[in-house]
Amino acid sequence: MFEMRGIEKRFNAVIALDGASLSLSPGEVLALLGSNGSGKSTMIKVLAGLVAPNQGEIILDGQPVSINSGYESRKLGIATAFQDLSLIPTMSVMDNIMLGREPVNSVGIVNRKGAIQEVRELLERFEIQCEPDAYVQTLTPSTQTMLEVAKAVALKPRLLLLDEVTAALHYDEIEVLFRIMRELKDEGVAMIYVTHRMDEIFKICDTANIMRGGKTMTQSPINELDLDEVVFHMTGMRPEAAKKSETEDSFSEEGRELILDVSHLEMLPKVRDISMKAFKGEIIGIGGLQGQGQSEFIRLVLGAEKIEDGSIEFCGEKVSFASPAEAVKKGLGFISGERNRDAIFHLRSVEENLTTGLVAKGNLASFLSPAKLASFSKKAVERYNIVLESIKNPASTLSGGNQQKLVVARWIAMDPILLLLDDPTKGVDIVARQEIHKILRECADEGMTIIISSSESDELLTIADRIYVFFDGQVSDMLEGANKTSERLVASMMGLSKTMATEEA
Amino acid sequence: MVQTHSVKKMTFLQKVNGFIQKSPARMAIIIATLLYGITVAMVPTALNLSAITSIIMLTLLLSFASAGQTIVLIAGGMDFTVGAVMSAGAIITTAIMNGQDGNFVKTLVVVLLSSAGIGLLNGICTVKIGLPAMIVTMAISNVVNRLTYVLTDGSPLGYASPAFIKSVTSKILGFVPSLALYGLVIFPIVFYLLYFSRLGKQVYLVGNNDNAARLNGINTSKVKILTYVISATLSGFTGMLGAGYMQSAKCQMFDGYAFNSLIAVIVGGTALSGGVGTYTGSIAGALLMVVLTNMLTALSLSQPVRNIAMGIVMISLLILYNREKSVRQ
Amino acid sequence: MTLAIKDAFQRFRRTPAFTGFSLFVLALILNAAIQGPAKFLSPRSFNTLLATNLPFLIVVMGQSILLLVGTLDISIGIQLALVNVVVVMTIQEWGVSFWTGCLFGITASLLISVLLWVSVSIFRLPALLASFSMTYIIKGINVLIMPVPQGKIERVFYRTYDRLLFGVVPFSLLIFIFVLLIWYYFKRTRFGTNIYAVGADRRNAFAAGISPKWVTLQAFLIKGLFVGIAGICLTLLTASGNPIQAEDYGIKSLSACIIGGLGFGGWGSMACGLFGGSFLIIIQNTVYYFFTMLYKLIPGFSVTTYWHNFVSDVIIFLGLLMTIVTAKGQREALRQGIAQQLKQKKEDFGGKNGSNA
Repeated sequence: MFEMRGIEKRFNAVIALDGASLSLSPGEVLALLGSNGSGKSTMIKVLAGLVAPNQGEIILDGQPVSINSGYESRKLGIATAFQDLSLIPTMSVMDNIMLGREPVNSVGIVNRKGAIQEVRELLERFEIQCEPDAYVQTLTPSTQTMLEVAKAVALKPRLLLLDEVTAALHYDEIEVLFRIMRELKDEGVAMIYVTHRMDEIFKICDTANIMRGGKTMTQSPINELDLDEVVFHMTGMRPEAAKKSETEDSFSEEGRELILDVSHLEMLPKVRDISMKAFKGEIIGIGGLQGQGQSEFIRLVLGAEKIEDGSIEFCGEKVSFASPAEAVKKGLGFISGERNRDAIFHLRSVEENLTTGLVAKGNLASFLSPAKLASFSKKAVERYNIVLESIKNPASTLSGGNQQKLVVARWIAMDPILLLLDDPTKGVDIVARQEIHKILRECADEGMTIIISSSESDELLTIADRIYVFFDGQVSDMLEGANKTSERLVASMMGLSKTMATEEA
Repeated sequence: MVQTHSVKKMTFLQKVNGFIQKSPARMAIIIATLLYGITVAMVPTALNLSAITSIIMLTLLLSFASAGQTIVLIAGGMDFTVGAVMSAGAIITTAIMNGQDGNFVKTLVVVLLSSAGIGLLNGICTVKIGLPAMIVTMAISNVVNRLTYVLTDGSPLGYASPAFIKSVTSKILGFVPSLALYGLVIFPIVFYLLYFSRLGKQVYLVGNNDNAARLNGINTSKVKILTYVISATLSGFTGMLGAGYMQSAKCQMFDGYAFNSLIAVIVGGTALSGGVGTYTGSIAGALLMVVLTNMLTALSLSQPVRNIAMGIVMISLLILYNREKSVRQ
Repeated sequence: MTLAIKDAFQRFRRTPAFTGFSLFVLALILNAAIQGPAKFLSPRSFNTLLATNLPFLIVVMGQSILLLVGTLDISIGIQLALVNVVVVMTIQEWGVSFWTGCLFGITASLLISVLLWVSVSIFRLPALLASFSMTYIIKGINVLIMPVPQGKIERVFYRTYDRLLFGVVPFSLLIFIFVLLIWYYFKRTRFGTNIYAVGADRRNAFAAGISPKWVTLQAFLIKGLFVGIAGICLTLLTASGNPIQAEDYGIKSLSACIIGGLGFGGWGSMACGLFGGSFLIIIQNTVYYFFTMLYKLIPGFSVTTYWHNFVSDVIIFLGLLMTIVTAKGQREALRQGIAQQLKQKKEDFGGKNGSNA
């Protein structure tokens, strides 16, 4: 019934889609898979009318169609739940759900009474507990995500697009979502389901479409695939059976210098009670599903957020940084995976991006020699193998992976005592990711302490000496030595307590 | 987003945009030269030494006034007190100097300190209190203007001192106003601050991505407040020079400089959203604005027609220079 | 009963209109105290106050709509003069009736609004700079149509505008209510919610099937209509034409909206604009009576009118500073709300899973 063929999309120099395709029939649930930056979200945006493809065709019921706006997408019976949500935070729940299709009478006045009934029923079906007139910005992130899905389902679509909606959901909410997806499937609604969680696709999906680098690698029924096969198509590599881990096999506090000692840190609502120790030369991993307080915790340590309760000791001294500027002065560094928001100055040159560490520290009136800045950045480019045309070009001309290497290089060149990384390899391809891992390990060997949060368990298991797992603003488990297994990590990420995890294992 | 690689599909407007974005300063100078050429072609008498002197004079004044505005805009703010602070600076100058050369230092200190104070107020209101820069600087500019009326009863007293007037209005080589000598001080200071000092580098980073700058250890509040202080101080000093040029002062005499400096800076390639821009561009933008006004005067159009032409040219320039992103990519 | 009132007050305290409202009430009390409650509350003085300031109040409403949809117009003041000039000149030069003149005035205002919409929505120019440039153009057009202040309106019309109906109801109040009803209608239509969506997030509104351009055009047209009506009120008030009046209404109306609690795009309501606008009006009135009082109380006291302006501008500035108080209150309320839900969730969660932390 529905098909996309040869879709291409370029954003300036970056190729997002390069001949991608997919097809599906009524009642089918298609898993759209691929690593970060492989073009899944762009495919969704093409269907939602937010991105105009440079080439390719979309066919619905045998007829080629064009989707030029959200309105046209809706009219064709397509509804979308976006990863970054399309809710308007300053509007009420009801207004959001009814947005763009408010029932009106003959003189154009919106019939709110009729709408409120529909909204209440919808909220009940999705087991969302909130008032229809509550502002969306007052809801928790997971409730907002459920609302985003509810809003899409309320359109009674023929084709429902779900873009990584489970990333922010609790597992009881995921159960509700799957129940509704099965109901819709019975009604003959076709669904495209984007996710990073492999266990989910085998539970709910019929077929899988796997993308890599903007190309579609394969589309086949889910029962003909196994996990290894999926990973192979996503990465182009067979997972190695027994990868030798460079991380420490056993852990003891004896004779090590304590760099960071956090106890009972609190900042509601995201961080509720977190204690953590980090020793010199250690790589500490922070695991957990998205949005369990990892980013907030890291920002608390950095002084970017205000601590409500608890204490932080850094190098044996009780500290409470009023701003990141103070923390940086004391020898902290911070690398964020949210490049666009937190790290990259996309209008400024590669050189300026590399030298921000030098620029940030010191007297404001003092002279910064252009020659010194140039040689500093040239060294960094060579050492970290950053691929670029010219160091004077804006940072936006680099690819995602190189942008991230740039951010890593920026901080490592400053040689901090403690380096904080918040999901640093988000949207970074596998080669760049491995290079970043290598750099981090070298730094740790030279005595730098590193705290790295990641939403991907494989990454943590390969790089971290110890892993603290966050769930709902608390540490649900600490993995070290022989305990560092994928099963235990996944279980604690889901918030299952230690005892339950061992029972299952 | 404009697809720069698919040259075939590029519309004429996109091509022009691309050319301008490469070097807005060059483009502004080209347009300015073109406009002056047209003026001379249509009104040959417009080509005379005193006209050129006046163009240089006004361009210098506007470019001094735009210096602070450039820095503030690059850091992501906006300063509408430029005009009010200039007027206030001029009024203080004539009042304290009172025609006496000996009062120069006293005048300079009072002008710089009082304008820096207004800059600090601007900075604190926008950065610490978080009010929209546009609105709060307009409100402060109103207060400053009203204050000048109250303090002078609407008719400022005094004159700039003879030596000071001479230092601004004498002619070098017969046509360059000696105001240019002040430029020899102001231009290097601004260029140093913006391009070679740590502050300048931080200003660009803060304007491009405030959040990232903060997380990278830059004290963004301090940087932004400083830009307002610098802007107001430069405006105050420009007002003092303006008093030397006009010899006496009137309330709100330099009001127009608030918007004119903004337009000059924008035409010079600085983005309203911050993060990019050069002072060279702003100087070129100032020249363009002055030449444009000069042209409309030289063509001896009536005042209303001049206004309409000014508005239309400004909108056309904006279409060429400063467009926001589309929702659909 | 008191609890219900308390609860309603608490809820109101969190709405964006709260600072505007408190400032407005404060100014009202101050004014009544200084002018004398009996005098201030008399229908006659209310009539004068409203009739004189109705054009500004309606302009603030127009500006509020633009701010809600995420744009602004500082040429809105000089547009009033345009309407005034067009109404007066079409009557004087073309000999049309007063009503036809008004129609021409409103058409002119709508045309300017469409032009601005083209610059802002189609050419995507920054609204501040586009509307500033527009100020030059409109000023030029005004003077071209009417070189010097002149003209007059038939007596019956401007007398009606000033009238107190039945000795208590100002005629200008009826006009005000009429404009409010127009807004009330649009607020109840789809436009009423779409304007918030477009103002808060154009992309998400677009994704929800709304056309941001069309909604922005609607906003500009309603603003154009309001400015047209305000211009006619101004004409009735002054009973003559002046091509360069009311220019400062542009910036003043913006300040009023911000003081009232409107944000740039999607945050606030018409009540914000109205409270903010009324605050400015009453403060100016109060300052005038304050100085009159000083003249009476202190023998030999005399200051220029410059002081009036200075004091009211300082108060406007202080009013702007006040907005942070509510902003803080709202952030706090938001945080508490989320913390509450988390607690609730934890309880539900704990109930289901027993042992969970």
